[in-house]
Amino acid sequence: MPLIETNGLRLNAVELGDGRPVVMLHGLLVGSSASWYFTSAPTLARGHRVLLVDLRGHGRSDRPREGYDSRTMARDVVGVLDAMGFGGPIALVGHSYGALVALRLALEWPERVEKLALVEAPLPPSRLPDLQAFFALDRSKMAEALPQVTRQFLDRRGRQADKLLHTLAELSFETSLLEDVRREPDPPDAELARVRDPLLVYGEQSSCREVGERLARVMPGARLVVLPGGHNLHLDSTAALTASLEGWLRG
Amino acid sequence: MTAAAREEILKEVARLIREVVGEAWIEEAEIGLDTSFSEDLELESIEFVALGEKLQSRYGGGVDFVGWLSGKELDEILALRVGNLVELIAQCP
Repeated sequence: MPLIETNGLRLNAVELGDGRPVVMLHGLLVGSSASWYFTSAPTLARGHRVLLVDLRGHGRSDRPREGYDSRTMARDVVGVLDAMGFGGPIALVGHSYGALVALRLALEWPERVEKLALVEAPLPPSRLPDLQAFFALDRSKMAEALPQVTRQFLDRRGRQADKLLHTLAELSFETSLLEDVRREPDPPDAELARVRDPLLVYGEQSSCREVGERLARVMPGARLVVLPGGHNLHLDSTAALTASLEGWLRG
Repeated sequence: MTAAAREEILKEVARLIREVVGEAWIEEAEIGLDTSFSEDLELESIEFVALGEKLQSRYGGGVDFVGWLSGKELDEILALRVGNLVELIAQCP
């Protein structure tokens, strides 16, 4: 698929399947459209038109120096939806910071979102567990704060490790990403309460788990599902997460 | 399917891999049925996604790459070899 020009940059999106539209957003740094492509997306694509967006700075999208706040990234996604003909309301799924982008999109463009699923949404955003560890590390230690599957690549020290470290270093040191995440405001409960009937999925061992409980209290009609695993639930609990998302899409 | 037809598919898959990677080393790299995407070629996950898209547009709906992936665990995907893809394409009508 050709890159999509929007918001002054070129963004990549991957489309699979046919049916009612589902849009899936990945987490920061090690995330990309591949995060969902190799986990839940193929199953959901059996009955849906699934769109995986590479957020700015990630996957095959451009990597600008700025604009990693959730509002700008949500506007990027809306631009992609417009360009791809996703005009009507969508089912929107986000993991980690991608969930915060999804949440922002649902708050600013409520008419575009029919239903919302937040997987491991971290609040306040600056408490994002991976990033918190990241802030404290020097460059050589960054690898240790990454998911297991990512570390396997790094341990082999080949091309995949080089590319990954290059991406991490560029995003961390040559863009405003970390600063933007630190500055990202914590949405007040009154604002969160505008989101109705979301699916909230959190990991049993995740340091974000209490956030799920807060959102479940504040968002009317929310359904909170806790699955075995940590922050990277799409890797830790792939089948169970996919099944939760399938149930949510049917409901 | 004949060995010659399989050979044709292998050549085509190898061509698409070289297109996706787009770096000098891959032109020289040997790509055979036993070549592993992750271990040998060290493809990035996002390159493997791009390869999936290219396969889909090259072979169309007849090759259900995404449906095929939906039956696989992540470690099976990481262990995939070029021959697995050639087999998938060869079996499709």
